[in-house]
Amino acid sequence: MNPQLQTMHELSVAMNIVEIAEEETERHHAVRVRAIHLRLGPLSGVSKEALLFSYPFACEGTSLEGSRLAIHEESAGEALEIIGLEVE
Amino acid sequence: MRPQPRMVEVRQRVLKQNDLLARNLRERFRRAGTYVVSIVSSPGSGKTTFLERLLATLRGQSRVAALVGDLATENDALRLQRSGAPVKQITTGSVCHLDASMVSNALEGWDVSKLDILFIENVGNLVCPSSYNLGEDLRVVLLSVTEGEDKPLKYPTIFNTADVAVITKMDLATAVEFDRDAAHRNIQSVRPGMRVFEVSAKTGLGMRQWTEFLLSVH
Repeated sequence: MNPQLQTMHELSVAMNIVEIAEEETERHHAVRVRAIHLRLGPLSGVSKEALLFSYPFACEGTSLEGSRLAIHEESAGEALEIIGLEVE
Repeated sequence: MRPQPRMVEVRQRVLKQNDLLARNLRERFRRAGTYVVSIVSSPGSGKTTFLERLLATLRGQSRVAALVGDLATENDALRLQRSGAPVKQITTGSVCHLDASMVSNALEGWDVSKLDILFIENVGNLVCPSSYNLGEDLRVVLLSVTEGEDKPLKYPTIFNTADVAVITKMDLATAVEFDRDAAHRNIQSVRPGMRVFEVSAKTGLGMRQWTEFLLSVH
């Protein structure tokens, strides 16, 4: 498995996360996102390290630039879910 | 004054958008009466040769077509078009998997109701495609005898999301000292009860059983 491909996958997941967060920020009339909290299961097919690596790239040029991705790892299951946002 | 930070609850699955699109695709296929089979495997395990043989065999009795995904090149589509079946290439650029929107876009201009079986060959990759539902009825994972019997143990997620497994390149089994029992044992340990077929698309070995199975489920 080419590690770069693995990262590409996480990059598209990260872009998906940013997109959802932007919509939610607008919906809640928030100004800025400080952090995104994500639930991640071992069977999600997504690597935590690669996702954290890709996240700043996905944020580039969006209102989420400079925000933090907080990943809450679960011991089982295939969760890949945004729990909530810390906004101001 | 800086606004006070606050928590906003979201509770949204990240791949929800793909799941919604996949559900729409599935509904569309169901209404059209089209059975959709997706094929996943690592690069070089024989997806295209397997599909080539399958299209050629089925063409006489069913209306079949294929979508093939790759990062670059139209080579696979050109190869498969020789079967005479309609084939379209999806080039993903740098994306390592197909998603429901790519399938949906590729189907533009096709009347799916005129198809009995649509095959979707995913990008050669045992990791990323597992997270993306394509609205398929049957997901087939290929494992070639040349790539090692422990692939299912190394990539359990893709084996878990697949419905059946096909061991390919059986004509090379002896030459590469393929441990058949170990392969079956490993598949069953990650996906108990999984139906497994053994084929050689090159010699035709096992292709009849596989084709019969496919025609019986669709």
